[in-house]
Amino acid sequence: MKVLLVGSGGREHAIALMISRSTYDPNLYVVSDHNNPGLLRVAKSTGGKLYRAKTTNPQEVLKVAEEVSPDVIVIGPEEPQFTGVPDLLRDKGFSVFGASSRCAEIERSKVFARTLMWKYSIPGRLYFRAFSSLEEARRFVEYAGDVVVKPARQVGGKGVKVLRENQAYLLEEYRDVKKDFVVKLFKEMAKYVDIDAKVLIEQRVEGVEYTAMTVTDGSYVLALPLVQDHPHVYEYDIGPETGGMGSISGPGWVLPFIEVDEFKRTIEIIDNIVKALQTEVKDRYVGALAGQMMLTALWGPTVIEFYSRFGDPEISNMVPVITSDFLEMIERTIDGRLAGYKLEIRDDVAVVVKAVAPAGYPLNKKVAANHPINVDEGRIKELGCTLLYASVEELGDGTLRTHGSRAFEIVCYDESHEKASKKAELAISYIKSLDSWPLIHRSDIGSIELLKQRHHLAMRIRRTYKARARRGLLGTSIVWVPGKGIFFDPFASPVMTR
Amino acid sequence: MGGLLALYAFDDLWNLSNHIYYGLTALDHRGSEKYVACTIGNGKVKCYKGSKERISKEITTPLAIAATCSNEDMDIYLGTYSTNDLEFVMIGDRYSKIIDIVGEKVASRLSSSNTSIANKVLTAFKEVLDEFKGRDIPSFLAITNRGEILAYRSSKGLTPLTLGGYGFDLALISSESRAIDILGGEVRKWLRPNELLYLSKYAVENVRVNSNGVEHLCAFELLYMARHDSIVDGVSVYEFRKFLGRTLARHLDADVDIVVGVPETAIPYAVGLAQAINKPFEIGFVGTGRHMRSALRIDPLQKLIAIHLKMNPVVHVLEGKKVALVDDSMVTGATMKTVSQILRYRVGVKELHVVIASPPLVKSCPYRLMPIDIKSLLAANLDTENAVKYLEVDSLTWIKPEVMSEVARSFNIRLCGKCFGVDFVG
Repeated sequence: MKVLLVGSGGREHAIALMISRSTYDPNLYVVSDHNNPGLLRVAKSTGGKLYRAKTTNPQEVLKVAEEVSPDVIVIGPEEPQFTGVPDLLRDKGFSVFGASSRCAEIERSKVFARTLMWKYSIPGRLYFRAFSSLEEARRFVEYAGDVVVKPARQVGGKGVKVLRENQAYLLEEYRDVKKDFVVKLFKEMAKYVDIDAKVLIEQRVEGVEYTAMTVTDGSYVLALPLVQDHPHVYEYDIGPETGGMGSISGPGWVLPFIEVDEFKRTIEIIDNIVKALQTEVKDRYVGALAGQMMLTALWGPTVIEFYSRFGDPEISNMVPVITSDFLEMIERTIDGRLAGYKLEIRDDVAVVVKAVAPAGYPLNKKVAANHPINVDEGRIKELGCTLLYASVEELGDGTLRTHGSRAFEIVCYDESHEKASKKAELAISYIKSLDSWPLIHRSDIGSIELLKQRHHLAMRIRRTYKARARRGLLGTSIVWVPGKGIFFDPFASPVMTR
Repeated sequence: MGGLLALYAFDDLWNLSNHIYYGLTALDHRGSEKYVACTIGNGKVKCYKGSKERISKEITTPLAIAATCSNEDMDIYLGTYSTNDLEFVMIGDRYSKIIDIVGEKVASRLSSSNTSIANKVLTAFKEVLDEFKGRDIPSFLAITNRGEILAYRSSKGLTPLTLGGYGFDLALISSESRAIDILGGEVRKWLRPNELLYLSKYAVENVRVNSNGVEHLCAFELLYMARHDSIVDGVSVYEFRKFLGRTLARHLDADVDIVVGVPETAIPYAVGLAQAINKPFEIGFVGTGRHMRSALRIDPLQKLIAIHLKMNPVVHVLEGKKVALVDDSMVTGATMKTVSQILRYRVGVKELHVVIASPPLVKSCPYRLMPIDIKSLLAANLDTENAVKYLEVDSLTWIKPEVMSEVARSFNIRLCGKCFGVDFVG
C-alpha cells in the first residue's frame, strides 16, 4: 500500500514510524517543508520518498499526490487543514485521513469551538467573550477579573495570558499586564485576515491538564490512551508556555492521577463535539481530534481547546504502546468502518517523552536557530528509546542544524515513569551541541516529585468538583451583585459590562 | 537574620513594584529594620535602600532581587562586583565576609573567561563555590546587568530557600513559601543545601555545588523564625510546632486549668499541649499595633517595648487560674520575666507553669544566625532553681534534645542543635 504523509515535524515522524510497522507493508512517501532526517529515513527504508514542498499550499501537495498516486493520504499538522489541503485532495478523489477545513474550524477558531459547546450544551464549557475591537477588549479586560486572554485563532499554541487573579492588592499589576497584552495581541493578530474576532477572553480555571486524543470516522469515536503534556519550558513548571517540552502516559489507558470515570466523561465530550460539529458544518469528520483538557473544580473534565489532529508531542507516547495495526486504523477511518477496529496497547508500560530544544526557544527562536548538533542514535537505540526528529534539518554535509523550535523528541518506556525518565536523561546525553550553544530539556518530566504534585492537585480539584456535582452546581459560577440580582453568566453581570 | 526575595518575569510587560512590596511584607517577620532591592537599568545594576514603600516604587522592571533584615548593621550583606562587560550584585541573608570573597573570585574568573559561552555566569559561580566546599556560606541572591538572577541556598542548609512559579509569567524565589503564596504563586521546589539556581530568559538551571559538610536547617527556623503558614523544606511549620507542643505533655508535671501561648509564634505549641493534656487552650494576650518580633531586637528597651505592646492580657481568661504558659524558646528570659510580672501583679494567676518548646539554649550560634550573647543566656548561667525564682514561676519545663530529635525525625528533617549543646537534632 502506498501512503503519503503530509508534514515535517516530530509528530509526523511518530506517525510515520507507526505506519511503517503495518502488516500492509506500506511504502511511505512524505511531503515535508524541510529535510527532516527522521522522515527521510522512514521513507527510504519503506521504499518511499521524501518530497520537499510547502505543506500549506494545496496545489504543491496535490502535485506530489498526483505523482505518487497513494492509496491513503495522512495530514499531520493543522495548518494544511486550515488552508484546504485535505479538501482539494478529496475533490481530486484521494482517500484522506485528516479533518477538512470546515471540520478543522474546531481548532482554528477558538470562538467557533466555544460557541459550538454553548449552542449544543456540551459539558466542560467555559464562559467567554470574543472581541474584534481593541478598545472593547481593553475596556472589558479592565474589570473582567480572573480571566484568560488568548488569540481567537490557533497560532501555534502560543500567546496565551493566564493570570491567576486572587490577590486584590496586586490588581493594578494584573490589569496593566492584561491591557498591554491585549494591545500586543491585536497587533500580532492583525496578520490573520482569515478570522474576524481577534481576541478571546474566557473564565480562568485551574487544575490538572491532560490530552485526550481520539480518531473518528464521523460516527465512531475511538479513544487513544490519555497523555499529559508539560507546557512550561523550564524544570519544575517554571517559565513561558511552549508547544510542549515532553509528555507522560500509561501504564494503561488513563494517567495515574485521572480516574476512569473522568476518562469516560472526557470521551463523551469529544463524542458530543463530533456530532455537533458535523451538524453545524455539514461535513464528515475523518481524522484525529484531540481535546486539550483540564480537570477543574468548575466541571471536572473541562475543555481548554481542541486540536483537529494528533497532539505533538503527545502522539509520540503512542509509538511504544500501540500494538495493533495503525495503518488499518487509518484505512478504516477513511472508509467509515472504524467501529470494527480494536485498538490494542501494551498496558504494562509507562512512557516518557522529552523534547530537546536549543536555548532561546520559545521566546527568541532567532537565537535558537542554526546551531549544529550531533546525535549518537545508536546509543539511544541501545537504551530501547526512540529518537524523533522535529525542528531540525539535515544539511548536505550530514550535520544537523536547529530551526529554532523543539529539535528532537526522545521516547522511552519502562515499568515506571521514573525509570523511563532516567532512561530518557541518559539518551539525551547522546545529543550534543557542536558550537557549545546550550540545549534545554526538562529532567523533571516523569519524576516522582512531579507525579506527586499532579496527584495532590487532582485530589484537591476532585474533592471540589464532586462536592459541586452533589449540589448540582457543575459548570455554574454564580455572581450576586447586591441590588442588581443574581447572574448566572459571570461575564454578563453589571460589574463586567459597565 | 533576614529574608530574601527574587522575582523574574519572562514577559517584559510586567512592572513588579507591588510584588516587591507585598513579597517583602510577607517576609517582614524575618526582619523589618532595613530593606534593599536591586534591579537593572541601562545596562547597570541598581540598588535601592530604605523603606519598603520607597524601594518598591523604584522597581518598575520585570526582574529584581530584594531582602529584608532584622538589624541595621549586621544582617544584610550587599556587594557589587564588576568585570569588563559584566556587573553583578550579591545580597546575603546574614552578614558574612565570605560572600565578598566569593564575589571577588567570581568577578576575576569572569574577566578571564570566554565571553561567548552562554552560561558563563552560572559556571563561574559554581566553580568558585566548589572551592569553598565544607565552609559555611550564607544563602544569597545575585543579579547581573545581563538580566540573570542566581540564588544559592546556604552550604550547610541553615536557612531555607524556595522556588515558586506564577503561571507562565513569573519565577519567584523566597526564603519562605508564604511570600510565594502571597504573590499568587505556587511552590515548585525546596532548594537543597548547596543548590545553586540560575534564572535567565533563555535558561533556568540548577546545579549542586560540591559539599562534604553536614547539612541541617537551623532549629530556630522551625521553632521561631518561619511563620505558621509557611512550609519549610516540605515541613508544615504549624504541624511541626503543634506536634512539638504535644510532646511537651510528657515533660509537664503540674496540673493546670488552661494553656496559653506567648503570641504569636507559640500559639501552635500551646494548641498541641492543650490537645495532649485535654485542657482548654485560651487566647491569653492580645497585641497592639504592628507585629514586632521581640527576639530579633537587640536594644533592650526596644525589646521591652515590643513585649509590652504584644502582651496585653485578657484578664478574665487568666485570673485565678493555674496557667501553663508556652513559649517557643527562652533566650535571656527577659520576655518571660516581663510576662510573669504581668500575670502575677496585674492579673493575679493562681499558678504559673512555664513550658518551653525547645531545649535549653546554652551556646551562642557559631553561624551568627541569632543575636545571642552567651553571657546573657538564661539557661547557660542560671540553674533551674534560680531560674524559677528569678522568673517568679511555679515550674519551668524545657523539652529534652532527644525528644525534639524524635519529633524532627518523624518529620524527616535534621536540624542544627549547636546552641542546645548538641551537633544536630533529628
